[in-house]
Amino acid sequence: MSWISTLTPLHWALFSLIPIGIILLYFLKLRREPVEVPSTFLWKKTIEDLHVNSLLQRLRRSILLFLQLLIITLAALAMLRPGVRGETSSRGRLVFLIDTSASMQTTDVDDDANRFERAKRLVSERIEAMSDSETAMLVSFSDRAEVLQSFTSDRNRLRDALSRAEVTNRPTDVLGALKAADGLANPRRTSEAGDVNDVQVADALPADLLLYSDGGFQTVTEFDLGNLAPTYIPIGSAEVTNLAITAFSAERNVEKPEQVQIFATVINLGTRPAAATATLTLDDELLDASSVDLPVGEQAGLSFSIESEEAISLKLALDIKDDLAIDNVAYAALTPMRNVSVLVVTPGNSPLEIALSTSKAGKICQSEFVPPEYMSTESYQQRAESGNDDLIIYDRCSPETMPRTNTFFIGALPSNKVSNTDGTTTEAWKWNSEPSGVALIDMDRTHPLMRYLELFSLLIFQGRSVEGPAGSTELLGADIGPMLMIAPRDGYQDLVLGFELISTGADGATQTNTNWYAERSWPVFVLNVLRYLAGAAEVSGAPSYTPGDTVRLRVESAIRDVDVERLRDKAAKVPVGPSGVTEIVETDMPGNYRVKSGERIVDMFSINLFNRSESTVAAAESIELGYESVEGEVGGVEKRQEYWRWLLIGMLAILATEWWVFGRRVA
Amino acid sequence: MPATATDPLLSPELLGRLERLELVSRKVFRGRMKGERRSRRKGESVEFADFRHYVAGDDLRLIDWNLYARLDQLFLKLFLEEEDLHFFSLIDASESMNFGDPTKLRVAKQMAAALGYVGLCRADRVSVSVLGPEGRRAPVLRGRASLWKMLAYLDSVQSGHNVSLHDGVKEFALRTSGTGVAVLLTDLMDKEGYESALRMLIGRRMDVFVMHILSPEEIDPPLRGDRKLIDIEDRDEAEITINAHVLNKYKETVQAFMNSAKHFCSKRSIIYIPVRTDTPVETIVTRYLRERGVVR
Repeated sequence: MSWISTLTPLHWALFSLIPIGIILLYFLKLRREPVEVPSTFLWKKTIEDLHVNSLLQRLRRSILLFLQLLIITLAALAMLRPGVRGETSSRGRLVFLIDTSASMQTTDVDDDANRFERAKRLVSERIEAMSDSETAMLVSFSDRAEVLQSFTSDRNRLRDALSRAEVTNRPTDVLGALKAADGLANPRRTSEAGDVNDVQVADALPADLLLYSDGGFQTVTEFDLGNLAPTYIPIGSAEVTNLAITAFSAERNVEKPEQVQIFATVINLGTRPAAATATLTLDDELLDASSVDLPVGEQAGLSFSIESEEAISLKLALDIKDDLAIDNVAYAALTPMRNVSVLVVTPGNSPLEIALSTSKAGKICQSEFVPPEYMSTESYQQRAESGNDDLIIYDRCSPETMPRTNTFFIGALPSNKVSNTDGTTTEAWKWNSEPSGVALIDMDRTHPLMRYLELFSLLIFQGRSVEGPAGSTELLGADIGPMLMIAPRDGYQDLVLGFELISTGADGATQTNTNWYAERSWPVFVLNVLRYLAGAAEVSGAPSYTPGDTVRLRVESAIRDVDVERLRDKAAKVPVGPSGVTEIVETDMPGNYRVKSGERIVDMFSINLFNRSESTVAAAESIELGYESVEGEVGGVEKRQEYWRWLLIGMLAILATEWWVFGRRVA
Repeated sequence: MPATATDPLLSPELLGRLERLELVSRKVFRGRMKGERRSRRKGESVEFADFRHYVAGDDLRLIDWNLYARLDQLFLKLFLEEEDLHFFSLIDASESMNFGDPTKLRVAKQMAAALGYVGLCRADRVSVSVLGPEGRRAPVLRGRASLWKMLAYLDSVQSGHNVSLHDGVKEFALRTSGTGVAVLLTDLMDKEGYESALRMLIGRRMDVFVMHILSPEEIDPPLRGDRKLIDIEDRDEAEITINAHVLNKYKETVQAFMNSAKHFCSKRSIIYIPVRTDTPVETIVTRYLRERGVVR
């Protein structure tokens, strides 16, 4: 028999006042029924006889008082929660890791709503079965680990922490949770390995690692369990039905923007063949449907084509009731076009002018060309200070003070300075070579600015390699060094091109320095600059993120805050940073999200699971942790048999008895 | 069926049975008026008692002239004189008597009426009165025809004369000069005690009967639980938790109280008659009182 006190010592002290109060009340005496008798003469005589040994005599004869005290005793016993449990080979320290990833929403478990609820129940039962000498910590994990409760022997705290755990729509990363558990079980040394003077900061404490999961995560290899003794409690069955949408996107036709192409991938990630109808809806209106019938492990691609010029929210749903519902729905959106404001400071640059006035660029950009002398005017100062322009392009000129917006320098360097460690300041940007002929040799094709570009055929007559401040990224490399670099500056970004497009000769005549303006890549590059650096919205599909991701969006600088709303949900106000960047963190729920400024939609994005690992919901029989393979324990944990319910039933029975006795006495 | 307050005190059937009864006195009292009762005192009647010599001053009408003719001596022929008996019914009409169903007071009034009627039928002098100053207006009755007068007086008797037994009997003793049979109808519930009252009656050379009237609710109270008992007379309160133990103790106390009253009475030649109010008055009169020699 073991006891688990549900009350703190203070509570017990208060509780002990109850029986004292009952006895006092018994003597103070409550309400007495007045009754008229011919004479109190004989009654008083009777009482006098009884009063000879009054207190004890009175107590001895009061069955009601005894019943009340018995009820209180039973209540106290019930609160001590007497119970019996078998012996467990516990190390005295338990680490509960509970999986809260999306796959735990699978409903293939009997008795419980889903896998997560079963995991919670099993953890709860193990907490109840803890002995007083055991301590435990509780960590939940999805794509990030959260220590819900650090080591404690207080079951109330563990219970509270467990009640706070909630299943998420996020993918799984067990490594963070293992590291959290590892921190206490395997304390590291104070300094580098091999240091003979190094001392252990604390003794390593062996602990039981109880992992409640369906095993739907990548094999963890770079981890040493050390003193952790892992136990894997698999939640869920190995036989499941699950069709999952793993990709869903919409793209506008570049040539015909009103045409929208929609693509989706559906995979059977269950262990049984499954068939379903995929229904495509636009703002809840049915657009199209297609059927899929997939054997186990097979996948099918679905494509749809619609016409719309507006910002649209698409939803693809599989009409099937399988074990995991979250991956049966996918969302996609097409963002509206967005105008950006660009100021071009140039003594004259026709290629740039032409590139900014193409039909495609003209739709998303409002440009204004000013000569370098404009930089000395008050109007420029105000514009540079206010940051109203989304981008300022400096062609062969440079401002004395950097503006509060993104910049693109052509054949010139930004004037900002960086502080050194010795207190001095140096130029942030430098020329790294003398002017010379340039042969391009490298390009970062992954960067959004360099998408769709083919530049190796360019002729560049004269250029200088660029050296940017710390954090710069080289986008274009030449034989003489970096030719195009981008670097952050106080939340803004500066792009520097190491060669001029149009040069002015010694005689003052204008001449071309490169043939880029004649290449197709030139207007595409300018468009990339507008999209990425000026923040013009993509006309293609809105990006999709996984649940829980932080979504960074660049909106117009003038907007102070935006409303972010999931369709049919209440909008949340999110502030916009000084550079027009807003960070949206409330992205746990899948769906189409709209970012609005007033009534105008400024951006859109989607949240989708799109995770094959999460959608593969068959519970793993064993998992790989570190260098160990941990087999799932079939028997589950030992359960504590408790008697407090019986005590409560006893209390009720005594209450009924007391009621009956009281009724008889008063009647 | 229990009698109600509106029922007549004595039923016609009972009246018929009472007419055949006679009050018994264990003492010889000298009646004031001629009655149907044979007295030890020699006097005028039809029943011969004795002869005695004539002395000067005797009533010449009592001389037995036949004897004078035979013996030539004057003898007076003596007869047993028939006397009346003075019967007093004293009703305790304190508030405590107004308890039970029927109330103890009603039973007391019935007993007084029944015994009074027995006396009236035998030409005894009957005085039925309540203790206390109210008793002053009680009529002294004689003759069967006075029954209605007696009943009218009894009907007018209400409870609430909260005088102690001592004071009530003392007041009775002061206003009554003669002797006779006194029946005290009371519950003896007097916090000052009943002893002095009974002694006072004995002191007045009364032939005393005490009818101790108690209701079943007093002997075995149907009370349980936490109660505040209120004395019906003086509103005295007693808070008590009544359980089986206390109840048994109370019953023992009641029994001890009755025993002590009986003991007190027997030591002083007082006939003590316990009466339960749930016993019909016919049964009390024709059986209990007969057994105890109150009537015959």
